[in-house]
Amino acid sequence: MNPIDDDTLQAYVDGELDPAEAARVDAALAQDEVLARRVRQLQALNTQLRAAFDPVLDEPVPARLTAMLQPRATPAVTLTVVQGGRDANAGRRRAPPRRRWLMPGAALAASVALLAVGLWWGRAGNELVRMRNGEPYAAGVLGRALDQALASEPDAHAPVAIGLSFRTADGQICRTFTVRTPPARAGLACHTVAGWELPVLSPSAPAETGELRQAASSLPPAVQAAVDARLRGNVFDAQQERAARAAGWR
Amino acid sequence: MHSSDAVREGLIALLPRLRRLARALAGQAADADDLVQVVLERALARSAQWRPDAALDKWVFAIARNAWRDELRARGRAQHLFAPEEAGEAVADGGAALPVQQLELAQAMAALPPDHREVVALVLVEGLSYDEAATVLDVPVGTVTSRLARARATLQAHLGNDA
Repeated sequence: MNPIDDDTLQAYVDGELDPAEAARVDAALAQDEVLARRVRQLQALNTQLRAAFDPVLDEPVPARLTAMLQPRATPAVTLTVVQGGRDANAGRRRAPPRRRWLMPGAALAASVALLAVGLWWGRAGNELVRMRNGEPYAAGVLGRALDQALASEPDAHAPVAIGLSFRTADGQICRTFTVRTPPARAGLACHTVAGWELPVLSPSAPAETGELRQAASSLPPAVQAAVDARLRGNVFDAQQERAARAAGWR
Repeated sequence: MHSSDAVREGLIALLPRLRRLARALAGQAADADDLVQVVLERALARSAQWRPDAALDKWVFAIARNAWRDELRARGRAQHLFAPEEAGEAVADGGAALPVQQLELAQAMAALPPDHREVVALVLVEGLSYDEAATVLDVPVGTVTSRLARARATLQAHLGNDA
C-alpha cells in the first residue's frame, strides 16, 4: 500500500479521488492525527477562498457589461435633438463603425482610458470624472451640465453638449452627453442619489465645426448600446426635460 | 438558433461566474470588470468558433485566462510591481470593508505568480476538476496538481496558518 502523500491529500479535499482511494484516506485519517490536521488545513483554505470570492456571484453586474450582451437591434433612437439650419444629411453623419469598439485592443485601450480619464482631466484642474467606490461619477462642468443644461436650449460654446434624456424602466433618469473639449468623450449618465453615475464613457471623435449639434444616431456604438439597453418608451421632449430638471432629475 | 445568439445567451448566464473568476485573477473589482469586458468582446467576436457540443464555460474561461495573460504582458512587470500591501489597500478601497481574513486572502492571492493564481482561480474558486482546468490551461493534469500544491503552500504561508 502506498503511503498517503500530499498530492493524495490534496486530491482528497478537492474530490478528485475515486471512491476506493477516498475510503483508504478516510481510514488513515481516523488513525493519524497529523494527516487529519493537514486535511483540515486544506479544507479551511478551500472554504476561505469560496467565502472570499463567492459573494461576487450575488453582486449586481455592471450595466456596461450586460449592455454588451443585448441583441444588436437597430438603434431605437433616431431623434434629432436640435435641428440645425443645415441640410438634414449634414446633421446625420454616419456613426463610426461598430467593429472598432469591439476590437479587443481598442476596447482594452478604452477601458484603460476610462480609468485614466479622471486623472487626465483632474490634472488639468478641470476634473470631469470622479471615481467613487470604483465607479465613475460626473464631476465639475460635466456634473453641472447634466444638472442644468437642456438639450432644447443648446449652447454651442458650452464644453458639454447634452443629447437625449429619458427615464429607464427602473425609473431612473439618464442623459447622453458629449464632451467637446479634448479628450473628447461621449457617454451616458444616470442620476442616482450619489450623483450622475457614468455607466458608459466612450471616446468620441471631436466634433467638427458646425457638427456640434449631434443627432442621437451619431452616438458612439457603446453609448448607443447602453441607451438601447435602458430606454423604455420615449425620450423626453423639451417640456418633459424641463420638468425633470425642475424635479431634480428624480 | 444562430451560434452568436447561443453564445450571447450563454454569456448572460455565465456573467456572474465569469466576474468571480476575473476577480480571483485580477484582484481589484475595477480591473476584474475591465477584464470581463475584454472577454465578452472576444467571445462575441469569436462566437463562430464555439462548437455547441463543447461546454461554454470552459471555452470562455480559456478566453478569460488568455486575456488576463495578455494584460499582464501589456503591463510588463506588473505582477512583481504589485506589492501585496497595495493589493490589499486597493481591495479595501474598492467597496464595502472586507473582513480581515478576506483582505489577507486577497493579498496572498496577489502575491501568487500568474501560473499559480490561475490554477487556484479555476480549481478552488470556480470548482473545475483537475482535468477541466488542464484543458482550459492547455497543460498536463500533473502540471495542474503540482502548481496547485505549490500555490496552496504559498497561500497558507501568507495566511500564517501553516502549522
